[in-house]
Amino acid sequence: MRTAGIDIGSRTIKLVVVENGQIIHSAITDTTHDPLEQCKRLMDHVSFDKILATGYGRHFFETHFDAPTVTEIKAFARGAKALFPECRTILDIGGQDTKAIALDEKGNVSKFEMNDRCAAGTGMFLEVIAKTLGYDLDEFGKEALKADGNIQINSMCTVFAQSEVTSLLARRQKREDIARGIHLAILNRTLSLLKRVSTEPDIVFAGGVAKNPCLRLLLIDTLGYEVKVPQNPQMVGAYGAAIIAREIY
Amino acid sequence: MDFNVPETKPLVDDQFVGEPAKRALNYIQSKREQGHPVVGIYCGYAPMEIIRAMGAGVAVLCAFSNKTIIAGEVHLPSNLCPLIKSSYGFITTDTCPFYGFSDVVVAETTCDGKKKMFELIRHLKPIHVMDLPQLPDEQEAEANWSAMIKKLKTFLEKHLGRQATDRDIETAIKDTNRKNRIMNAIFDFAACKPPVINWKEIYDLTFLAVPAPTTDIDKLLQESLNKLEQRVKNGIYYGKKGSPRVLVTGCPVAGDATKVFNIIEQAGGVIVAIDNCTGMKGFMGEIEEDTGNPIAAISRRYLKIPCACMTPNLRRLAEMDKWIERFKPDAIIDVVLHACHGYNVESYKVMKHAKDKHIPFLKIETDYSTTDVGQIRTRVEALFETLSRM
Repeated sequence: MRTAGIDIGSRTIKLVVVENGQIIHSAITDTTHDPLEQCKRLMDHVSFDKILATGYGRHFFETHFDAPTVTEIKAFARGAKALFPECRTILDIGGQDTKAIALDEKGNVSKFEMNDRCAAGTGMFLEVIAKTLGYDLDEFGKEALKADGNIQINSMCTVFAQSEVTSLLARRQKREDIARGIHLAILNRTLSLLKRVSTEPDIVFAGGVAKNPCLRLLLIDTLGYEVKVPQNPQMVGAYGAAIIAREIY
Repeated sequence: MDFNVPETKPLVDDQFVGEPAKRALNYIQSKREQGHPVVGIYCGYAPMEIIRAMGAGVAVLCAFSNKTIIAGEVHLPSNLCPLIKSSYGFITTDTCPFYGFSDVVVAETTCDGKKKMFELIRHLKPIHVMDLPQLPDEQEAEANWSAMIKKLKTFLEKHLGRQATDRDIETAIKDTNRKNRIMNAIFDFAACKPPVINWKEIYDLTFLAVPAPTTDIDKLLQESLNKLEQRVKNGIYYGKKGSPRVLVTGCPVAGDATKVFNIIEQAGGVIVAIDNCTGMKGFMGEIEEDTGNPIAAISRRYLKIPCACMTPNLRRLAEMDKWIERFKPDAIIDVVLHACHGYNVESYKVMKHAKDKHIPFLKIETDYSTTDVGQIRTRVEALFETLSRM
């Protein structure tokens, strides 16, 4: 049986198809203003027997396609555990939200916390600041790693941090140093969320922001141990949803 | 979420179905028309027996409407409990009928926000602020609160032109105790598996039972009890067998804040216990009768209310154990209103306590707006997902 998981986020929609425990298809697209159309496009010409939805838009998908749903919490828990069997903590930093999930020995969710009222420290924050500094999002993390100095960024609000960055640039501060300061600010915020939930290894770092090499390194340095980053960190939720779909059918 | 027999009529089947505040307002209006003065209150610590002993009606002034928040924020900071902002906003826009009906207002020093808000309304109507002891287990607390209750009595006698003897107060005490017993008999139907009463029906009764003496609502309560017994006989229950049973605790939840209750039901849960001032909390306990010192008896009883404004408030967790045993919840949801530091800090203790009891726990911090409905739903659904282990 082929099962699919679709993770409808606020910025991106992810689709994963699983058969016999293997991922046979995976795709991502922007949510845009018309998520219904984007879902249809993503699923076009992709064959699967059953589909299960997760993410912010899961209930709207449920209404249109008569599919069952699970929350991102459960989907990420299942996906991360399947990828990394020793997983006890999941940190997911997405486009507009952050979540931390603690798993018990059996892989069941024991505790979770979400921050989805403020985009500070999320992918959106990185995008806005990268642009202000004149970087591509992909190079932002790499450039931050080159810094030898460090500048403390005081604003955590995306809008005010942008103003702060602009005035730092005007004062001729180095771009890489500012970039590093921004990454440190995200790290601190992330750590405080993580400490409230769990820092027990293995920690799986998922979500689009896990692709950022500077954040990964800062996280490992501060924790003192490795964090596991999946090859496609954005797809963990959709993957988990596909696995759950297999389990319920 | 519905009864297994969808045609089941609500317990209180009048023109105010689903609008407990309007029903309460209608009741207070009728008291006023009968010539009774009305005392506005802001809190579960207000000594109702003194007020009732004077034959005055009670109007609860705590507001739960998002509409008046903007008006409240003209003078009050936005980083403040929505209950305070909403209540204040009603007053400044002169749109609160409860406040309008009140001849005087009784307030207590419960939380910072309320305490300071009272200062801003002093000039509008006579207001009597009582100094509530916040270390209720200290030796002096009972005597201090008794002194405050006596002062309240003097204030009311002066402003309402009425007297209350010890005998009147003792009668009011017995009335309260009787009411609490009947209300608890009704709450027992929420403890059934599955529950036989839903949260809206509980509110229809509690919103009346707070202001009204038993003598005014006895018939209604008895009829409700009979209907509930009939439901059990006819095999009628609320929700589905196996719906997650939720104990809600924390800050007052009413009006626009009941979005949390609606979300819990949308996610498949049923509310079996409401450990909030707007719900069952105020009816848990009796005042000692015929002690010869009714004010001291009242003082002792009220100081036992486990609000987070009290410290160390160990009673909250001790009471919660009783609630857990009685209502057998599958999950505990702690609702904390924005900027309520008392309940917010205390939530950590509730979380640890729930963990010790192996009961899944969720804290929801929210206000009266609808912007976080999606986020709350995700959290509640995730909480329920942890109940069914795969």
